[in-house]
Amino acid sequence: MDIDTMAGLALSLGLEGEGARLPAGLAERIEGKGWQVKSGSQPSRLVDRYARIGPDGVGFLELGKLPGHVEPTVSVAFRYVLEGFRRPGWSVVADLAAGTRQPMFGWARFARTVLVVADASSKSTLTARRLVKAGVGTHLVANKVQSPADLQAIQDAVPLPLLAWIPFDSGFADAEAHGRAAIDTDPRGPAVCAVGKLATRLLELAA
Amino acid sequence: MKVAVIGKGGSGKTAIAGMLARAFARAGHDVIALDCDANPNLGISLGIGLEATERLAAIRQSLDDGGTEHAPGVEELLERFGVAAPDGVRLAVVTQIDQPNPG
Repeated sequence: MDIDTMAGLALSLGLEGEGARLPAGLAERIEGKGWQVKSGSQPSRLVDRYARIGPDGVGFLELGKLPGHVEPTVSVAFRYVLEGFRRPGWSVVADLAAGTRQPMFGWARFARTVLVVADASSKSTLTARRLVKAGVGTHLVANKVQSPADLQAIQDAVPLPLLAWIPFDSGFADAEAHGRAAIDTDPRGPAVCAVGKLATRLLELAA
Repeated sequence: MKVAVIGKGGSGKTAIAGMLARAFARAGHDVIALDCDANPNLGISLGIGLEATERLAAIRQSLDDGGTEHAPGVEELLERFGVAAPDGVRLAVVTQIDQPNPG
């Protein structure tokens, strides 16, 4: 589920073409009760109807992309799906916008595991530390690690349990820069392999 | 001259904004650098350092805390809440989200 209103997750998934958005009008504002999703719009039904199926069978749903306006009814319905979707054997992975705004407004609250991704730059670790101070984030993923000193710097700056570290990988960076999925273009690359191990670790934790 | 720097996260906006502010100042201009990001990092790019950037108080939060009267104008806001950065740049953070919204 792509919560970021800038383009990104579809490309990283390897999806091309139009996005997969919920239509307007699935929610309504009721006097005294606030926003409510209309009856008959169960999360799993909305996923089945509106999500696009991408490579490896991943279902993809996005909140919306700028410069278009994300209607409040769409935002309410999207968050309803995010927080309410459950199906045996399925996992939900959500990509939030960069920075602190969306996590601070509760968009990560649906998840039991909230990965804070940080590289060794001061801006990145400062952002991660702000999230930790605000109680957002359960685990640290150190990214673009080029040396043991990088990894140590990230761990020293961000007081969360380290779940994985991803090495800097020019193949991964090239794929992202060209709008391709690194898992397709560089499947044996060190960064893709490290993310694969992270996925295995997360599945173990959830079991 | 007023310049706004915008773009996708990770594209280098803040670094470029910081360098522009310093370059204008070195060219002899008075410069106010406004960090309008709710996750403010411009101080690092301006060169005031990580710790000083982390300690910066945002104008909006400082006013909302009630510890100060609303300043009468831009000059006083910048005087009260701005900090000095290298090359004479004056830095002010507009707002910062530092607590989760309970709603």
